[in-house]
Amino acid sequence: MTPSRRAGALGLALVLPPLLLLVFLIVLPALTAVFDTLAPLEGGPPGLTLARYAQVLGARIIRADITFTILVTLASVAVVFCVSYPLALYLRFVQGRLPAVLAVLFTIPLFIPVVIASFAMITFLVNHGMLSTILYRLGVQRFPPLVYNATGIVITQVWANLPFAILILGAGLQAIDDALIDSARDVGAGPVRTFLAIILPLNAIPTMITLTLLFITILGSFTIPYLVGGNAPQMLGVTMTNYLTQYFRRTDAVTMAVIAFMIAAAVGAVYVASVSRRERVAL
Amino acid sequence: MSAAPWYWAVGGMRRALGLGAFLAIAAFILGPLFTLLVWAFAGSWLFPNLLPEFSLKWWSYVLSNADVGKAIRISFISAPVATLLSALICIPAAYAFARLEFPARRALLLSFLSANAFPKIGLYVSIATLFYRLNLMDTFTGVVLIQMVNTLLFMIWIPTGTFRGINRNLEEAARDVGAGPLRTFFHITLPIALPGLIIAALFAFLAAFDEAQGTLIVGTPNHITMPVMMYTLVLSYPQPVGAVFSVLLSLPSLVFLIVAQRYLRAGYLAAGYTL
Amino acid sequence: MRWVRWVKRKRRLAAAAGMVLAVLLVGIGTSGQAGAQGTVTLNLYISGDTNIFDLYTKAFLPAFTKRYPQFKTNFVGLLHGNGDDGVYDKILAAKRAGHTVDVDLWETEPGYVDEGIPEGLWVKLSASLVPNIVKVPVQTLEAAQYYGLPYRGSSVVIGYNSQFVKNPPQTFDELVAWIKANPGKFTYCDPNTGGSGQAFVTAAIYKFTGPDKFSGKAYDPNEEAAWAPGWKLLKDLQPAMYNNGFHPNGNVAVLQLLAQQNIWMASVWSDQGLDFYNRGQLPKTMKFEQITPPLIGDDSRVTVPAGSAHLEGALTLLNWLLTPEAQNMVINEVAGYPGIDWKYMPESVRARFKDVAKAFAPYPNPKYLADIKRLWHEQVVGGQ
Repeated sequence: MTPSRRAGALGLALVLPPLLLLVFLIVLPALTAVFDTLAPLEGGPPGLTLARYAQVLGARIIRADITFTILVTLASVAVVFCVSYPLALYLRFVQGRLPAVLAVLFTIPLFIPVVIASFAMITFLVNHGMLSTILYRLGVQRFPPLVYNATGIVITQVWANLPFAILILGAGLQAIDDALIDSARDVGAGPVRTFLAIILPLNAIPTMITLTLLFITILGSFTIPYLVGGNAPQMLGVTMTNYLTQYFRRTDAVTMAVIAFMIAAAVGAVYVASVSRRERVAL
Repeated sequence: MSAAPWYWAVGGMRRALGLGAFLAIAAFILGPLFTLLVWAFAGSWLFPNLLPEFSLKWWSYVLSNADVGKAIRISFISAPVATLLSALICIPAAYAFARLEFPARRALLLSFLSANAFPKIGLYVSIATLFYRLNLMDTFTGVVLIQMVNTLLFMIWIPTGTFRGINRNLEEAARDVGAGPLRTFFHITLPIALPGLIIAALFAFLAAFDEAQGTLIVGTPNHITMPVMMYTLVLSYPQPVGAVFSVLLSLPSLVFLIVAQRYLRAGYLAAGYTL
Repeated sequence: MRWVRWVKRKRRLAAAAGMVLAVLLVGIGTSGQAGAQGTVTLNLYISGDTNIFDLYTKAFLPAFTKRYPQFKTNFVGLLHGNGDDGVYDKILAAKRAGHTVDVDLWETEPGYVDEGIPEGLWVKLSASLVPNIVKVPVQTLEAAQYYGLPYRGSSVVIGYNSQFVKNPPQTFDELVAWIKANPGKFTYCDPNTGGSGQAFVTAAIYKFTGPDKFSGKAYDPNEEAAWAPGWKLLKDLQPAMYNNGFHPNGNVAVLQLLAQQNIWMASVWSDQGLDFYNRGQLPKTMKFEQITPPLIGDDSRVTVPAGSAHLEGALTLLNWLLTPEAQNMVINEVAGYPGIDWKYMPESVRARFKDVAKAFAPYPNPKYLADIKRLWHEQVVGGQ
């Protein structure tokens, strides 16, 4: 075998164990589920059919839930990104006691299980909860509904996902050489210009990783929308669970799962495409 | 490392703004947790009281529950084991993804996204049937396997990025002086990659630890994990009970947090993401 | 020198591997049944709310294992049915793979029992298997085709805080009028999460269709058009509900709203409401009444999977649930109705339940109930 062939075989061999786990525990069951949704309908014509998808997407309430899920996910990702990037920049470029404390602080949500985080957020933000009581004592009578709706979901998702975003973005920022920043300053570039022209592009891959993983995680989440969300519309994770366990519509639930997967896969594909392009350019 | 925050040259007002922002962030992160802490010691707490009537009675209520200790034990054994095993099989694979060329490399790397992208609800019956055939239901191994599935994404992608960021010249230099591939890996590559790998292990552990829906099927009745038990206690008991349980369960995690601080500090990941 | 370092490195690896192995062995060793010689461990899966969990873990099971020391019990509580689908999948998958299943008793919604009957998943009960079954009214047994044992009952009633409600409504129409006149002071839980919420929703439906049409065995989705006036009624009530139409997650959440005086009246389970009241979790001024026509109620049934690994033990427990000792616990611990006929209960008990134990309306059959839950989300809270 040529050395490159040998490297190729070795590569495949090393990748095999986790791949097998993936295949047997996710891919095969997922394919079975997808096939079940495409199987011919009972008493209908033979051959694969998209009828179930048409039926599910034809229901107004499910379309509402899908739209709601995508919008809430996008909102959450946007807020997480807009809060985490400045924080990551702050931690990267500023020294002192404040950043040191912040560095410990922002990792706290990582270690709080999601159920507890949701519960804590509710006790904090609900009407007659901690925040509204404090404001009430200060004279603020009216308090907006911050939980049991989309706002609550977004706030809780931000709280839970902030550490992850800051860590990944921060790691990427760490890799940017100070010399580059300094030389930009030397030619007179302001902070915004430096950010847009130097930092953002160099940190592109961690940015893409962050955005992609955030989107996929939040899209399929269950616990936060289940505890903090309202009665309707609901995020897909909750809707699917309801269809499976409450309405006994197993196939509808699986159909929705496939749809959610396709949305997530589309986002993943965008990531891969952009990364590949960058890799080719970098080489 | 650049010392002065050079683009914050206008000191005073910017610093005040910074402090204000810091306090807002701190309130956002700590506020909910603090509220829960107060609830844990509340006998009864009615609006508009800023503080409750304090009492410890709910602590004895929760602590007298034998299942609580059992669930804690199971979670704190299965999640680390799942993480360790995941590291054992994924880190070599990540190295392969980062360094070696083989057919369908990119597609295979992407396929690990699928572990987290397909909602697990649609997979229950198939996974259960498979586990029954393999006699894995209600076994420690079964729970570990389900938890490992959650870790795959983190244990592949983050280490791949980490390894990719290590300058090849370092490895090639070692090879040039006669070191074999394994030796190069353990003496050169691994030490540089270690912080990134530890981060990956951290995320993987938390993912395994938080797993609830799959472990409910596979682990019951004898292997109930903490997240499964948490739903019950948080949803349907009086507020203080959920708060007490939350405090109990967060304590070990917070210890973990203090220990892990060393590795989480951004500086250690420097080598991980150079392009 | 080089090989010394090589050996050292290998030792570290070996030590690491050994540690992993040790942890694995410890973990595997603690799994599986910890039975002493000769004891059988029964696995009970009970879906419901926390007061029922306490009934089992604090009252039933200690008494049962005292009476039958050869049995130990392992209790798994499935809150609001969370995880029921997983249990059903387990039982089904075991049947398909030809295995026994480690579920010996399951208390759950009738929907799952119904789904499992054609698959042959349950033991059909009879006097030869469960001698005490002769004390159970025949119609309650027939309602589940003898596949489930009704060991306790309960109905949803109206709980109100008499401090604020001086003249409680006596009929459903009066209740609707009261809600409109007192906006924000009433709610019911999301019907996905609790029977007390389902009760109010079905009351709105039954007002226009009568209770019997949808509680038989027949199922025809086309008949559901008759629910439209019910949906309209509920939708019109939304603005008058607590927090502009918010329905909390679960029976207990509603009780907590009552306790915190966020609402003054709600539909609650009779046994759960009385239980919370007796524990001081509700205001002293709390009262309960059944309206006319009555809200739904049902008997809770325990089912034995045919593939259970411990059939004899499961049936023994089932039989024990119908003894006077157990039935008294149902009354005393959770203020539930007995599963056996009222005539077997002492006079004092019958007197105590006079106010609430009027008839209760029948549950819709499980397929209709599933559709009611789904359509409620669509029609009432789903928005235009």
